[in-house]
Amino acid sequence: MKEFNYLRADTLSEALEMLEEFQGNVKVLAAGTDLVVRLKGDMVKEENILDISRIKELKGIFTENGIIHILPLTTHTEILEYPDMKTAAQILYDACKSVGSPQIRNRGTLGGNVANASPAGDTIPALFVQEAKLKLKSKSGERVISVEDFFTGPGRTVLKPDELLVDIYFPAMSDDEVGFFKKLGQRNALAISVVSVAAKLKKSTEPNKFDKAFVAFGSVAPTVIRGNRVENALMDSVVDSREKIRYIAQLAWREVSPISDVRASLKYRQDMSINLLYEGLLELYKNGWNRRS
Amino acid sequence: MKEIEISLTVNNKPYKLSVPANITLLDVLREKLKLTGTKEGCGKGECGACTVMFNGRSANSCLILAPQADGAEVITIEGLGNLENMHPIQEAFVEEGAIQCGFCTPGMEMSSFYLLTKNPNPTEEEIREGISGNLCRCTGYMKIIKAIEKASQKLNEKH
Repeated sequence: MKEFNYLRADTLSEALEMLEEFQGNVKVLAAGTDLVVRLKGDMVKEENILDISRIKELKGIFTENGIIHILPLTTHTEILEYPDMKTAAQILYDACKSVGSPQIRNRGTLGGNVANASPAGDTIPALFVQEAKLKLKSKSGERVISVEDFFTGPGRTVLKPDELLVDIYFPAMSDDEVGFFKKLGQRNALAISVVSVAAKLKKSTEPNKFDKAFVAFGSVAPTVIRGNRVENALMDSVVDSREKIRYIAQLAWREVSPISDVRASLKYRQDMSINLLYEGLLELYKNGWNRRS
Repeated sequence: MKEIEISLTVNNKPYKLSVPANITLLDVLREKLKLTGTKEGCGKGECGACTVMFNGRSANSCLILAPQADGAEVITIEGLGNLENMHPIQEAFVEEGAIQCGFCTPGMEMSSFYLLTKNPNPTEEEIREGISGNLCRCTGYMKIIKAIEKASQKLNEKH
């Protein structure tokens, strides 16, 4: 493994202090399920590694006025074990379940998955459709941005060198909201996604109609993306047949701009974006647009 | 490289060590403590051969930097049981012939241990999910699944 200067912050203010001091020449270490692999592969240019994994202020889950806050060092397993997460944040719950393996979910954190900014990060499409906000903090202040505005490219974010992700929050799902997260990998466990799709629909009072629709795709563009055409079609239509769902799902073809790589070809990713969306919508439709029990 | 002082508990024994920051918990276990039951397979968290219990949960020791293990409680395969006093999981693996080359076995048993701690009566599906982070290239998994079912019965009878 490459040599580096190991720094450890035990409190948030210590971490922010060190981020300011080392201005950019520092890489933040949460659990390390991704970063340690990259350190072994000599893929980290920063000379200082700042271990934040012990900061208690950045761990935990709480709900306040219908808003679920998941602090960034909360692990995927802790999210899955949290009471009511399955109903209040079903889409993120399903995404967390699909991450890595038990061992990876026990260590890997939500904040790590977000800040890593992989276009294939499983929790990111889920956070997009759950309308998550991120709080970024530095010594000089803090700001809140929508999760969609956080990513600028593969592994790249708007995080400034002295800023740290300190909170991830989103509204708990209400009874009239349904959704899904679907991932296609090359196998079930420990597979980086080939394509992933997340969706959340707010039902209208009229049957088969939706007041709001959120759809996001992973692994099909430099960052996770929203599918605006699909969302508009879902809000403009009476979605009351298999054929209509197929038509809407096919609009995904125009949203995605995938590449061919070791995991899949461009064409396969395009086709699978459509198929995953179709499958997810069809399952909900067959269940009367109700949540599966 | 500058060494860092760490204290940790491994198999209920406390240790104080001086380690460089750029080695992993797996290196500490194998090279410093000579606990070579824990194996290194891929070194990337994909094969599970290095699985240990870390603060009560299963983890890939190849992905934990040594300084991150400061203050941690670790259980390795050596802490599960030994020849004289085998753990029911180890007994079941032997009895069911769930071992061929044996390289995945320590990690597989640690994942089984975590699974059975959380879920004493897993279904076959839950067992498959429980060992989904562990690769075995010999057995085809069926005998391992049978062994975990048997271990679950043994543990339930004990209680």
